[in-house]
Amino acid sequence: MLDTFEIVTASGIVLWSRTYVPVGAHVINSLIRDVFIEEHTLPQSEDSGSKPTYKKDGYTVKWTQAKDLGLVFVAVYQSLVHLTWIDKLLDNVRALFVGLYGEQLKTELSSVVNCDRFGSYFDRQMQELEGQSDSSAPGIKITTPDSSIDNDSAEESGPAAGLQKPPQRALFDTSADSTPVQTPDTSRPTTPASRILAGKARPAGARMSRRDRKKASGSPAPASSGDEASAKRKGKSAKKNRTWGELGAEEEDGDMVLDYSQSDIRGGAAEVEQLEEIHQDTWGRKTTRGEFVLKDLDEEMDAIIQEQNAKKDTAAAAAATAAAGGIVGSSLGAIGGYFRNVVGGKTLTKEDLAKSLKAMEEHLLRKNVAREAAVRLCESVERDLVGMKTPSFTTIESTLRTSMEKALTRILTPTSSLDLLREISTINSSRSRPYVLSIVGVNGVGKSTNLSKIAFFLLQNHHRVLIAAADTFRSGAVEQLRVHVRNLQELSKREGGSVDLFEKGYGKDAANIAADAVVYAEKHHFNVVLIDTAGRRHNDQRLMSSLEKFGKLANPDKILMVGEALVGTDSVAQARNFNASFGAGRKLDGFIISKTDTVGDMVGTLVSMVHATGIPVVFLGTGQHYSDLRNLNVGVITRLLMS
Amino acid sequence: MAWYDEDSWLTQALSPKLSTIVITLAIAIFLPILLHSFLYRKAASATGLPTFLLVGPSGGGKTAFTTLTERGTVPTTHPSTTPLSIEALLPDPHVPASSHYRSPGDPAFERSRRFIILDTPGHGKLRNYATSTLADPGNVRGIIFVVDAAAIDEEAGLNEAAEYLHDVLLSLQKRYTNATTSKGPKEIPVLIAANKMDLFTALPASSVKTKLEKAISEVRNNRAKALRDAGAALSGGDEVDEEKEWLGEGGEGSFEFDEMREIGTAVDIVGGNVCQGKNSGDVAGWWSWIGEHL
Repeated sequence: MLDTFEIVTASGIVLWSRTYVPVGAHVINSLIRDVFIEEHTLPQSEDSGSKPTYKKDGYTVKWTQAKDLGLVFVAVYQSLVHLTWIDKLLDNVRALFVGLYGEQLKTELSSVVNCDRFGSYFDRQMQELEGQSDSSAPGIKITTPDSSIDNDSAEESGPAAGLQKPPQRALFDTSADSTPVQTPDTSRPTTPASRILAGKARPAGARMSRRDRKKASGSPAPASSGDEASAKRKGKSAKKNRTWGELGAEEEDGDMVLDYSQSDIRGGAAEVEQLEEIHQDTWGRKTTRGEFVLKDLDEEMDAIIQEQNAKKDTAAAAAATAAAGGIVGSSLGAIGGYFRNVVGGKTLTKEDLAKSLKAMEEHLLRKNVAREAAVRLCESVERDLVGMKTPSFTTIESTLRTSMEKALTRILTPTSSLDLLREISTINSSRSRPYVLSIVGVNGVGKSTNLSKIAFFLLQNHHRVLIAAADTFRSGAVEQLRVHVRNLQELSKREGGSVDLFEKGYGKDAANIAADAVVYAEKHHFNVVLIDTAGRRHNDQRLMSSLEKFGKLANPDKILMVGEALVGTDSVAQARNFNASFGAGRKLDGFIISKTDTVGDMVGTLVSMVHATGIPVVFLGTGQHYSDLRNLNVGVITRLLMS
Repeated sequence: MAWYDEDSWLTQALSPKLSTIVITLAIAIFLPILLHSFLYRKAASATGLPTFLLVGPSGGGKTAFTTLTERGTVPTTHPSTTPLSIEALLPDPHVPASSHYRSPGDPAFERSRRFIILDTPGHGKLRNYATSTLADPGNVRGIIFVVDAAAIDEEAGLNEAAEYLHDVLLSLQKRYTNATTSKGPKEIPVLIAANKMDLFTALPASSVKTKLEKAISEVRNNRAKALRDAGAALSGGDEVDEEKEWLGEGGEGSFEFDEMREIGTAVDIVGGNVCQGKNSGDVAGWWSWIGEHL
C-alpha cells in the first residue's frame, strides 16, 4: 500500500499531501538532503523507464519533478511492498496538478496554492491505478522475469510454475504479512481458494478498457473476498463519500472531512473491521448513482492529463518538424530561436543545451577536471536546466554559466564546519585520549610534507604534538620525519607547544605502531597525534587492505587523504578507492590537495575528488614552506574554474 | 533604383507628403507611450517593498514562519532548496512604526503594512543565497535569524548556529566598515528569533543569548587562529598579511551583541514558537519587531 503522497515545492512547503499510514517527516527530509542538496545518491536518469528511487528506514521513496514550477511529487511506501503502478501515479498526478494549478503556482511573491479539491482527483487516480494493477497483474507477471519479484516469493513461485496465478498470490501474501497490522488487508482472514475464484472470474482483466473495467468491478467484486476486493472496496469507499457530498450540496468540504476521518480511524483494527462491513453494504446500494458522478470527474481528469501530454507531444513534434522541415520553416524557426536566445524567455530543451554543454564540458576538461566528474557535473546542470525558462535578456550560455557556478559552489561547500582547532579542543576536553589524525595517499603526493605543515600549524596554537612514523616501508621515511621534527622543535622553543617523533624503525606493522603511538601519547600527555603512513597505489588490493586494520587499531578521529593537484583523471579513482578502503562505517574525513601552486588556474582536481566522494577539501598546500597551508576558499576556486 | 531617384524611399521620406507626415506623427506619439509602459511594467515587477531576510541553520523553522505570516496557518515543511520571497501583510494587532499615527482607514496605512519576507535555505551547502543577499542588501530592512532554541542546547546545534550568525554579523560589519560615505550605510537590525519555545527542552531567550555570545566569541577566537584563506595564494596576488577579520570591537575578551550597535546593527532576541503541535503558535514578538522596523 502507498503510505504517503506529498507535493512539495522547492522552497520546502508541502502544498498537498495524503497520508494513509503516518510516515515520519524525516524520510522526505533526508530525501531532499541526500538527493537534492548533497547529491550523495545520484538518481538514474528518467529515460530508463522508471522513476528514481531512494530507500530509507525500510521505506522506498519515488519522486518526479516539475522543474519549471519547482515542484516535487513524492510517493512513500514500504520497501517490502512491490508497487508497480507508482510511476504511472506520479506521472498522472504531476500532469493533473500542473494542469489544474499551474497558473496559481506561477504567481510571484506568494506561496498559496488553493488545492483543497485535489483530494478527490487523487483518490480517483489511486483507485483507478490500484484496480488496474490488480486486474492486470497476471498479465504483467508473464512478461517480467522471476528475479524482479520480491525475493520472498521466489521459493513459492518455483513449484507452481504451471499456473499463472500463484506468483501473484505469493507476492500479495508476503506484502500482507510484512506490513504492520494497520492496513485492513491483514486484519481480515483470506483464503487462497476464493482468490483463485476471483481471479478466474475475470480472465481478460488486462485487456479491458477503463470504463468496462469499472462496470465489471461493479458486479463481480462483492462476490470475491480476496485482496482484490479489498482494494476495490477501499477505493469505492472514497467514491461513495464523494457521492454523498454531491448529493448534499455539491460541496467538497464534506467529503474531505470524511476522507480524513477514514484514514485516521485505520489505526484501530477492530474499528476497521466494523467500518469495512458498513462500507460493503452502502457501497452495494449506491453503485449506480456513484458511477454517474464519478464518470464526470473521470473525464475531466483524463482531459487534463491528455492536454498535458499533448502539450509535451506538440513541443516535441514542433522541435522535430523544425529540425526536419523545409528550408523556410527551419530558417524561420532558427531566426525565432536565435531571437529568443538573445532576448531570453526560451524554454530550454536538451537539444538547446547540447552544444553549450559540450563547450562547458571541454572547458572543464581544460581545467583538469576528470572527464567522469565533468560529464556528471554537466549532466546535473542539464537536469537542473531542462524545462526551465531563461530569464529575459539572457542567453543560454550565460544561464548555463550561472547554473554551473551554482553547482560548483554547492559541491565544494562543505556540509558542516571544518574547524580543526575546535574539534581538537572539544575532543581533548571530553576524554583523556589524544586527538588522532592520520594521513593517507598515493606515493609521492606529499603526505609527510603536509603532515609537518599541519604540525607547524598546531604548534603555533600551542598544542603538544606527537608525530608517529608509521611508514615502515620506504627507506628514509623515518629520517625525513626526523628532520621535520628537529626543525619544528627549534620553532616550538620560541613559540611554545612541543613536538616529538614516535618511531619503531622499519619493517614493523604500521597499524601496531600507530596504536602504540596513541598509547604513548596518552601516557606522556600529548594532545594531538599525527600519523604518517606509507604511500600506496590505490588499485593494489594487497596494500589497500592493510588500511582497514590500520583504521581499526589506531582509530583516528580524522583521516585525511592527500591528493596532488597535478593528477588528472586518476583523481576520481584515487578518492573512491581510498574512501572505500577503511571498511564499512569508516570513511575519509577530508582531502588535502597539495601542490596547488604548481597548476595555476587548473584546479580541477579539487572538483573531481569532491565530486567522486562527497567529502570536503580541508586544506590546500600552496608552497614549499611550513606556513604554506591554506583553508579552502570556495568562491576563489569557482572563479578560477569558470575563468 | 538609386537613392537619388525621384521615387526612392529616401526622397519620399524627405518630401512633404501626407503619408510621411502621418508615419512621423505616429512614431512621435506612440514611441514614448510604448517605452513608458515597458519601463513602468519593469519597475512595477521589481517592487520596492521593504524586505526582511530570514536566515538561520536548517530545521529552525524559517519556512514555517514565512507561511505563518502569509496565510496564518502552518503547513508541513521540508528542507528548502531554493529561496522564497513572499509578500505579506503585517498581522492585525501590530502596527508599523512608520504609520503609528495614521488612522486604520488611511490607504497609506494599508500600504505600509505590506512587506516581503525572503526565506533562504539553511542547509550548509546552500547558504550562498543568503550571503549573496547580505553582500548586496538592497531593500533589506532587517534580518531575522531563526534558531531552534532546543537544538542550541546541544554542542553541534549551538556551534552551527553560532558560526552562521558570526558570518552574518561579520558581513554586516564588513558592509559598514567598507562603506565609502561618511554617513555610513543604512542600519540593518538583527532579530534572533528563538523558535520552538513550546518544546520542553527549549532554552529561554536570555539563555539563548548568553549561549550564542559565548559560542560566537569562541568562533571568533578560532577564526583568528585558523589558517589563512587560499584566495590570495591561488589567484596569484601578492600575499601581504591582510588583516584577519575580527567581529565586534578589537581586543580580547568575550563577544557581546551590544558591540554590534557600533556598526549600526541592533541585535534583539525574542522567543516564540511557530507551531504548537498542529496549530499555529505564538510569534507576536517577532511580528511586533517587524512592525517596529517597518
